[in-house]
Amino acid sequence: MKKPLPAPDADTAEFWRGLRNGQLLLQHCGDCGNVQYYQQGICRNCGGENLTHRPASGRGKVHSFSVVHRAPGPAFKGDVPYAVLLVELEEGPRMISTYIGGKPDDVTFDMDVTLVCEPINDEITLPRFRRA
Amino acid sequence: MSAVSKSSARNNSLRGKIAVIGIGMSPVGKVPGKSPLWLAADAAKKALADAGIQKREIDGVLSSHAMASPFHRFSIAFSEYFGIQPTFSNTLQVSGATAATMFNIGAAAIHGGLAETVLVVAGDSLLSGLTPELALRSLTESRDQQYEMPFGIPVANTFAMTAHRHMKEFGTTPEQLAQVAVTQRRHASRTPGAQQTKPITVDDVLNSGMVTTPYHKLDCSLISDGGAAFVLTSAERAKALGIERPVYLLGGAECYTHEHLFLMPSLTTTGAVESSRRAYAMAGYGAKDMDVAGVYDCFTGTVIMMLEDLGFCPKGEGGRFVADGQMTYGGQIPSNTHGGLLSFAHSGIPGSLFHFHEVIAQLRGQCGERQVADANLGLVHSLGAGFATNATTIFGTERTL
Repeated sequence: MKKPLPAPDADTAEFWRGLRNGQLLLQHCGDCGNVQYYQQGICRNCGGENLTHRPASGRGKVHSFSVVHRAPGPAFKGDVPYAVLLVELEEGPRMISTYIGGKPDDVTFDMDVTLVCEPINDEITLPRFRRA
Repeated sequence: MSAVSKSSARNNSLRGKIAVIGIGMSPVGKVPGKSPLWLAADAAKKALADAGIQKREIDGVLSSHAMASPFHRFSIAFSEYFGIQPTFSNTLQVSGATAATMFNIGAAAIHGGLAETVLVVAGDSLLSGLTPELALRSLTESRDQQYEMPFGIPVANTFAMTAHRHMKEFGTTPEQLAQVAVTQRRHASRTPGAQQTKPITVDDVLNSGMVTTPYHKLDCSLISDGGAAFVLTSAERAKALGIERPVYLLGGAECYTHEHLFLMPSLTTTGAVESSRRAYAMAGYGAKDMDVAGVYDCFTGTVIMMLEDLGFCPKGEGGRFVADGQMTYGGQIPSNTHGGLLSFAHSGIPGSLFHFHEVIAQLRGQCGERQVADANLGLVHSLGAGFATNATTIFGTERTL
């Protein structure tokens, strides 16, 4: 059973291209300074379209997490238990990801984590996090 | 019951203008061989009989999409199935808060002259028509395809991460979460037709197997079949019809804070603060005035956070409040007296309507051995999509107007 993979759209193609090149791109608004995740055609704060992609440092903290023991559908059954993370990036925005490189039980609140770009196929690379 | 700020209620508001004159519910739990449309129609027949009106008197129908039904326009398919041709209708979708929006929009439509008598109705068959596995997958697949789903984030996970952070910030314990399930199971044991009635203990919850931390199986709501329906009309028409115990809509308000969990402004304080603040202001009553509540309980921790955000206890105190018996009979706010989504039934949007059914029945004094004494003011809080959608509704009897 295949896992669901993102289908990049007009707003997000550059974001997924960035991950393929090992970069987690955040949008910086040239008008109001807002930094946003996820990728949109407009700034969520001021509505401007003067947005620039800049790579995130890849550093963040675990704001919350939940270790999944019962998979949401057959595609993830082989992975349990795994830790879903809500990571707060150093630049401010939060994102959903999963923990790799260790046991899910090792994850703690406010733990420092670092981005790992994991290629899934030629098009899609998923941003995951390991302990810093 | 003290009128804290009745005078501040806006004159042009819906407060007291609309009455619920009929309520109905299909069999719930495991109801094999019945479609979502049948479950909705069965509930609707009962609501009409309860109101003492004929189906041709219904000129408005509001409903929600049923996951086990192929019809995109469920309210339209329902009207055909039920044999009526309304002149006002819609199928609403804001996840768990949809139940409340049906009341708000129905009331506004009546007040604004778009309809005279609105049927609020929903039915779904998640257990028999869809199977639990498909129901959970369908809910999971409603999450964002690019930024959430690829990480295997179950629907429970969005709520689990908020509860988990609540534990970290306020010291809420797994035992306190479990106490919500224990209390509501005790409530369900006195509710005819409830899906789960066997008493459980805190240890039973903690030993029921981990689903996604911090939630065990018994911290999670049920998967059920069932439908519910309500008849709304103007207060004047309710009087003209000679309705014995109309229940009035005193306050209704909503708040939508985000779509993605990672854009939720705070994991531990939700849009329920704003929706309830506005609903209380419209009603002219506060949390302390409420006699009974129906609090959306997809998971145990959801109830603890909502008891705080609705103003029944201070932020961070929800766990202790529940453990101290404040959400049951004799406590500050008897909540989910039918057993809620955790023990009575959860058939999707109708699950949230069951809270409305219970609170309205309580205000009509019809709850038999689980009746809350002298219940005149009741609150229902509906929410969905990992706290993305919140809606608070306040009802009162004639004497609260």
